[in-house]
Parts: sequence; C-alpha cells; structure tokens
Amino acid sequence: MTDPKAIENNPFKELGEIPEKKYPNGYTVDSTYITIRDGVKIAITLCFPKGLASDTKIPTVLTQTRYWRAMELRIPFRWILDSMVPNAPNPEVVTSRGYALIYTDVRGTGASDGTRIVPFSEEEIKDGSDVVDWIISQPWSDGNVVSKGISYTGITAQLFPKNNHHAIKAVIPGHACWDPYTEIAFPGGCFEYAFMQLWSFLGKNLDLNNPKVFRQIRPEAWLLVKGVERVSSDKDLKLLQIAINQHKSNQYVYDHTLSRDFRDDNLPDGTIFDDISIFARKEKIEKSNVPILAWCSWLDSGFGDAIIKRFMNLSNPQIAILGDWSHGAGYPANQFFPERTFVTPTPKDKVNAWINFFDKCVYGDGIQGKIIYYYTLAEEKWKKSEVWPPKGHSYQKWYFSENYSIIREEPKENIGSDDYKVNFRATTGRNNRWWALLGLPITYYNRNKIDEKLLCYTSQPFESDTEITGQIIACLYISSTHEDGTIFAYFEDVDENGKVTYITDGEFRPLHRKILTDEPPYKILIPYHSYKKDDSAPIIPGEIMEVKFGLHATSVLIKKGHRIKIAIAGADKDTFIRYPNEGRPTITISRNKEFPSYIELPIIKKE
Amino acid sequence: MEEILPRLKGMLKDATVISSDATKFEITITIVKNINGNVAEPDEIIVMLKMYGGLREDIPMEINIDNDTQSILLKFQNEEDFKKVAKIMETLWDNAVDMLTSAIEGDISRIKDIPDIDD
Repeated sequence: MTDPKAIENNPFKELGEIPEKKYPNGYTVDSTYITIRDGVKIAITLCFPKGLASDTKIPTVLTQTRYWRAMELRIPFRWILDSMVPNAPNPEVVTSRGYALIYTDVRGTGASDGTRIVPFSEEEIKDGSDVVDWIISQPWSDGNVVSKGISYTGITAQLFPKNNHHAIKAVIPGHACWDPYTEIAFPGGCFEYAFMQLWSFLGKNLDLNNPKVFRQIRPEAWLLVKGVERVSSDKDLKLLQIAINQHKSNQYVYDHTLSRDFRDDNLPDGTIFDDISIFARKEKIEKSNVPILAWCSWLDSGFGDAIIKRFMNLSNPQIAILGDWSHGAGYPANQFFPERTFVTPTPKDKVNAWINFFDKCVYGDGIQGKIIYYYTLAEEKWKKSEVWPPKGHSYQKWYFSENYSIIREEPKENIGSDDYKVNFRATTGRNNRWWALLGLPITYYNRNKIDEKLLCYTSQPFESDTEITGQIIACLYISSTHEDGTIFAYFEDVDENGKVTYITDGEFRPLHRKILTDEPPYKILIPYHSYKKDDSAPIIPGEIMEVKFGLHATSVLIKKGHRIKIAIAGADKDTFIRYPNEGRPTITISRNKEFPSYIELPIIKKE
Repeated sequence: MEEILPRLKGMLKDATVISSDATKFEITITIVKNINGNVAEPDEIIVMLKMYGGLREDIPMEINIDNDTQSILLKFQNEEDFKKVAKIMETLWDNAVDMLTSAIEGDISRIKDIPDIDD
C-alpha cells in the first residue's frame, strides 16, 4: 500500500478532488453488435447514466478488451446480480460523472466475430476507429471519445490515437507495455515461458467460451461465471456460436514464440515483434498529439520500464505515474512492507482521478507538457519530475570485490574471480513480477534463504541515506563452461538486522551481449542490444566476455546503516526457460584490474 | 464483490420461491424478481445442482422452463429422486454463497470435489 501519509506530490491528490455526481441515480445497460468495415461484427456493451435527457449529448469512455467485455453469470447468481465487467472501468462511477461507457470485445474474442493471429494488430487498431465512427454517429454522443484500460485494455487504449481520429481526445493506458519483446516475452532475450504459456492458454479458452480455464487460476470466477455475455438480441445464442466457431482459427503467442529466440524472427503472419509493439507506432501516436495519462508500478513485469520509455519517447502531453502496487493495482506490492493489506488509492479514488483527467481534455484546455510522478520505496514518498532521469541524477560505480563484497574502489589486483555452478532449481517462485501479469500478488519473501543458492556480493553499511532512481546497469566480465546461459541479477537491500528485501532485478542472455552504437529504435538509458539474429553470438567456453545490461527501473531509498546486495543466478525455473537446455554451466565472474565487474547505480542527489 | 457477499443469501431468498409437490414428485423454482433475458437453459439447472448442491449422480428429470412466468419445473420419476433434489434445494442458495465466499478468501477445498462439469 502506498503510505497514506505520503500526500506531498501524490498524483491522486494533484489530479483533483472527487466532484459531485452529475447523474447519481444509477445507469442502464444494453448491448449490441456494430458491423465494421470488413463485415466483422464487434460486440459492444453500453452503459448510460439514468436520468439523461433525450437532447443531452455526452462524451464516451471506450475500453476494448480481449478478455470478455462482460461475463454472463451462472444461475442462481444471474438472477440477482448484473453481469460482471471486470475489464472495464466501474460503470457506476463513469456514468455518474456524465460519460457513456462502452466496452467491446476486440475481433476474434468474446462475442465478436473474426479471428486473430497476433495481438495488437493493425486490424485491431483500425477496428477502434470504426467503433468511434459508430459512437459519434449516435444521437447521444457529443463527438468526444476517450479510452482507458489496464494491461491488454491499456495497450488498446495506448494504440487508439494511432488512428488519428478527430474524436479521440485522451487516453489512459494503465500497466501497458511499450516493447513487448523486452517487457513481456523475452526480457533480456530470455524466453518468459510461464506467462506466455498461461496467457495463451487463458486466451484460447476465453475465445472458445470455456470458463473451465478459471477453475485453476481464479476459482471464484469459475463458480460465478458461465461465459462471455451474449449480446442482448442474441436470444438463442446463434450469433455467439458463429463467433466462437470463427475463433477456432485463432493463433496464440506461446505457439509463435516457443521455438524462437530473436526479435526479428517471423511471426506466422509475416510480422515481427517490433511490428506489434507500441514504439513502432510512435510517429502516428505523436502526430495525434492526444494527451496520455500512463500509470503502472515499479514491480510489474517490464511494464514499469515502459512508463519511462513512453515518457522519454513520446512528445504527447503526458502524465506518468509509477507506484508500488501489483499489476493493475489489485494488491499492494511494496516488499519493504509485506504486511500491508490494501492499496492506496482505492479503485474509486483512481477512477475519479482518471475522469478528472478526461474532463480536462474533453471540456477544458487539456494538459500541457509532461510530468512523471514516482514513488520511492523505503522512503515512502511521492516525487515528481518534468524530465527523466530526474534532476540531480548521476551514476555511481560499485565494484565486485574479494570476500563477496561490493565496494566503491576499482580493483587493483591482477587476479580475482569467483565461480558459480548454476543451480537450476533457483527460483523466484510464482508470485514474482512476471506471474503478476496474471493478476497475482507479488511477493519476494525469504530472500535470505533464496540467496543461499546464488552468488552474492554485499556492501558495507551506507553512511547516509541514498536515493537510487532509474535503471541500474550491471557490467559483468564473465566466462562460462557452456555456449549458452542466462544471467539473473537481483538488487537487494540488507537492513541492520541482516534482513534482505528485494528491490529489483534484471535478466540477460549473453548470446545478445553485443552492444550496438547504432541509434536504437527508441531512446533508452541502458546499453543497446538489438536482440536480432545477426548481432547474436554464442558464448565461447572459457573466454571472458563483457556482459552489460540494465536492470528493471526502480526508485528506492537505501537508508543509512543499510547495505546493498547483488545476487547472481543462472536460472529462475518457474518463470524462464533454461539456457542451455542441457548441462550445468559454471560461470566465472572476474573482479580484477583487467576485468573489473561492477554495477552502476543511478543516484539522485538532493538539491 | 466482497462488499455484497453478506447480502447474497438474503437476495437469493428474496428473489426466488421454491415449492414442491411430493405427490407429483415436482419441484418448482419461481424467480419473483423481474429479470432480463431467459431464466435459464436446461443444462444450467444440472450444473447448478452439481456445482453448488453436491449432486454427484445423474438423476433423470424433466426440466420445463417458462420464461414468461419465470419458473422452472423439475419433474422426477420416483420419490427417491424427488427427495434427493428437494433436500439439496433446502440449502442450495446458502451453499452457493458459502462456496463463493470461501473461494474469494482463498479456500478452495470445497471446489476440489466438484466433478468435471460439462459447461
């Protein structure tokens, strides 16, 4: 939970107080199909404020999901409860603030027709434009459409402005990626099989309208939910069945990526990863100049990095928020306070902040410039900056040293190295930042015990409080007995009692170690690796190589008296595929004058 | 959802009337609250009894659904089958809500015993 006392710079306070409700008497719900440009029928559910006069025109909040826009409940619950809309903003809050709320099943999913080969396709983006055309042609529409969402729906919101439709006035991509290769599927070039497999399994079952998928993942949903909600006119379920039959031709990312390694490997429809990324659509998103409010957490997969990349690379007016919660803010995730039980702000407070942002963009002057709010862990404070990295930023090197220490001074000795035989049973469990993409809590507990399987380097106690904000860079001079492998680097805090707290981590497959001097596809603050086939090279066993990569962004205060620790692993068995798939490498980390392994900390000096 | 859980049992009891005729081996469920759409599909009744009621055998029954009167009529072939389902109906709503509450709280022990229901 974000400390409620941390009010200064709290973005949810700065985005405005909760105003009076314009329409306090509830809302109506209906559903229909929209037939779009190529004949595909898109299922939509519409919520309107009750008491809306027939000649009143209102703006619309649009959410486009692949996870069932609404769920039909099982009996007897269906007799007493409205359908569940877990992927849309709260209808009561949105409609009471004077917005229509529309949520759609994107093509190839839910009750919508069509098939899908890859997510975030050009077709899917254009469908959003067709939906907007329909919306603004309705007698109740004032011609303004905004979009928001979390996770997949956050990504559809982020891509929405690419259409450059005059009606699109603002978007709120929550917990959304920028570069799906490095932020979801292949962080550091390492295949994140767990999420990819489960996500594909979930998608396949949802697309075939099979609620059994929830039995293992979300048993309470399995008890409640019968399937995707039919469009209300589809009394005999025939249209739903037609849609599901079309979904049988869908394809899923796990099947596409399991046998692939490189960013430029072809996906089945001939696209490559970059084609379905956000950054590939940067030019058109910028051309729209649609204001963006992007929010996420430091601890959510690679999506925290996406907030920073978006902030640095898009010229659109922008508010960015980085907190300390789980994916979608369903749970608190601050590892310094594992006993916390709820997230602040509440969901209603957040939605009201979002609607205030939309009000500014629809009715007011919008927002100007860019600002990023970020929460510093352990310090429990919100900060804000108009630039990234924040003012006062500099890098500080810490060198690996003897006796498993890490120090400020460069090594002076000509010899010095440590061996580590990779333990393929090492794991961060199934509640880490990657499993969190499934909506699960994030816990990195028992780090003291887990570090016993790893190669660790620990500093002396810090002499003063030190803020680290940004991406730590690891520069390791390593050799290996095998031609392939992975390096995992965990950055941790050690308190006065020796308790270890996870802060952040990074992973990297040395196959991709070549650092390019070319301009990267988007601005980054870490070494540029292309992850392309032609730039890759197997490890030469026994030969020392430089492996330099960025850890996932964070903001943390290392308190006076605390120490920092870097723990090195070669596997994370419950999340990442193992490299190599046979054998047990021994890696050697050099820490001497010629090959001084180090980490670079992004320090923020207070003014 | 959590905020509504304490009221769910009462809401179900207020929304439905369950009556039975032991001489005809019939049970009628009437939804007295006005609902949108169809009351139920026949297979949903079986799923409901198995999922929330603990029914583990296939009991032959005629299921008649009248969407106009919002009623569901279950006709059984014999007294034994009638009594089995009548007994389930006595606590069905409470069981359904209790199972949901437990699952939300992380206790899935009651779900484990549910057979593979063909949805």
